Amino acid sequence: MTQAVAEAQTLTERAGTRPEQQSCGGRVPILTTHALTKQFGSLRAVDALDMEVCRGDIFGFLGPNGAGKTTVIRLVLGLIHPTSGYAEVCGHRVPGELQGALRHVGGFVDDPTFYPLMSARRNLRLLGSMTGPVSEERIDEVLEIVGLSERAESRVGSFSHGMKQRLGIAQALLHSPELIVLDEPTSGLDPRGMKDVRELIRELGAAGTTVFLSSHLLHEVEQVCTRAVIINRGKMVVQGPVSELRPQSDAVKVLTGDQGRAADTLRAQFGASSVLEDEGFLIVQADEDAVPEMVRRLVADGVAVRAVVPAPEQGLEDFFLELTGTDGDRPAPKKRRAGLARLLPGGRR
Amino acid sequence: MTAGHPAHGSTGPRMHGRAWGPLRREWIKLLFQRRSYLIWGGAFALPFLIALALYLAKADPHGGEGPLFFERVTSNGMYVALAALSALLPFLLPMAAAMVAGYMIAGEAELGTLRIVLLRPVRRGSVLLAKWTMAIVYLAVGLVLMLASGLLFGAIFFGLHPMITLSGTTVSVGHGLGLIILCCLYGLAAMACIVSLALLFSTITDSSLTALIATIVIYIVVQVLIAFSYFDWLRPWVFPNYFLEYVSFFRDPIYWTPILKGLASFGAWSCGLTFVAYLLFRRKDVLS
Repeated sequence: MTQAVAEAQTLTERAGTRPEQQSCGGRVPILTTHALTKQFGSLRAVDALDMEVCRGDIFGFLGPNGAGKTTVIRLVLGLIHPTSGYAEVCGHRVPGELQGALRHVGGFVDDPTFYPLMSARRNLRLLGSMTGPVSEERIDEVLEIVGLSERAESRVGSFSHGMKQRLGIAQALLHSPELIVLDEPTSGLDPRGMKDVRELIRELGAAGTTVFLSSHLLHEVEQVCTRAVIINRGKMVVQGPVSELRPQSDAVKVLTGDQGRAADTLRAQFGASSVLEDEGFLIVQADEDAVPEMVRRLVADGVAVRAVVPAPEQGLEDFFLELTGTDGDRPAPKKRRAGLARLLPGGRR
Repeated sequence: MTAGHPAHGSTGPRMHGRAWGPLRREWIKLLFQRRSYLIWGGAFALPFLIALALYLAKADPHGGEGPLFFERVTSNGMYVALAALSALLPFLLPMAAAMVAGYMIAGEAELGTLRIVLLRPVRRGSVLLAKWTMAIVYLAVGLVLMLASGLLFGAIFFGLHPMITLSGTTVSVGHGLGLIILCCLYGLAAMACIVSLALLFSTITDSSLTALIATIVIYIVVQVLIAFSYFDWLRPWVFPNYFLEYVSFFRDPIYWTPILKGLASFGAWSCGLTFVAYLLFRRKDVLS
């Protein structure tokens, strides 16, 4: 176990391993799971999961593909039934008091899907009216929030993936929920769309809505969330404030006129394992004090240095890989880090 | 895209009228499905085609004979709707019932809308009941269209006259119309069984086509079985056995025994199948 993992687990232990011992620091928990377990045949998709989301959090729910994130969301929203354990949402036990819980929750699971022959407005009206008439003003309001006002009367069948994601958020907001659960809302969006959705999530958080954001994009969680949990194979690995989850990173990104030559120079200075190539950058494990010497050596070797910038995201990324990649049948994290990092969406791809 | 005041302080949902919400939703959904209009169009067109065919056959001295009530159509347009019902009831109406009910849950699962619907704070039982009810309303609309078309084209081609019952007595046009409506309601009650069966399959599978086919296969198998005298013992227990008992309305006085037996069978099967569907749907893991 690496030092980072050990530190993180100490953090979780400090917070308490049982939910009743976990603290929201004086804030009220809005969503808790209690030994939540879901078994599909021989596969234990969720394994005695205890986690706690505090009111007002923008809570990151992080894990690699297949970690069980969507299954947990389905359990929390009552779409599937737990094998054992339960969730508590806004004071209502799920699945026992599901209707009470759903009055306070909005969200979507997987890609939000709508009736393709109906307009965005009619889809919202139809969904909203299931619990009583919904005002046209509210529909206008949520469409405005997600930037779909101009396409309100267009058939959803003509919408792009990004527009459907935004309409999914609109329907989640329709009954002014206290908690919004979003399952990878930026999945499949272009950079502009991702930025818009993240901005919206931040604004929702600022307006007092608790957001539960499932993602496998590490930097997304880092950018947007205040607290996070990392799960792997249906088990909680660690949870806590994002700022505390992330170990201090000493990595810097280096861009030069000759990356190959620069890599040789830097490997000679810091060791081969401390230098990785990623998207045209060299990621160097070097603390702040070593940077002037590093630049001096590069210049001395005739390499034109174009940029040296801190790479704080490396901390969470490395941490994430170490937490979730310690399976016995896989190569050790250190050995496969570069390869795995490329496979992880939003990582060093 | 800006949140402004996104989640709080604006018009929330008013909770009155909640009971109608799922019903309204199902109805609007039906109106947005093209196949609804195909079936309704078929129900409206069939009496016209029957009336036209018999009108032309009447002119032809070698014109053929048709099923129940068909031979009487040429002398009285009142029988057009009844002839259309006897043509629809054995297959087209069960097919429509299986199609609409089979789609109700499985189709939404296929489309991916089921999970969005079930995230609204509405009980699954209410959702299921709304779907069952709307499937029945959908078929009722089809029957009303068939009835209206039958009377319209019956009047145009043959005129509307007092009807002769199967017992040989004559009843007025108004009385006859009342009997035809009772026949349609009986047919609708029969279809409730098909709707419940299809809805049950719809909760089991995530494919509307599978639900439709399973329902039709069971219906046909039962029909075939009860056609053999060896399976006479089965007849009282299966609902398709009573589908054509509506003719007893045209005895004078009305022969209630087979009608009531049929209605009891329809009620028992429909309630039983819907209850099982509810039990399954209540515990269904929505993974689609």
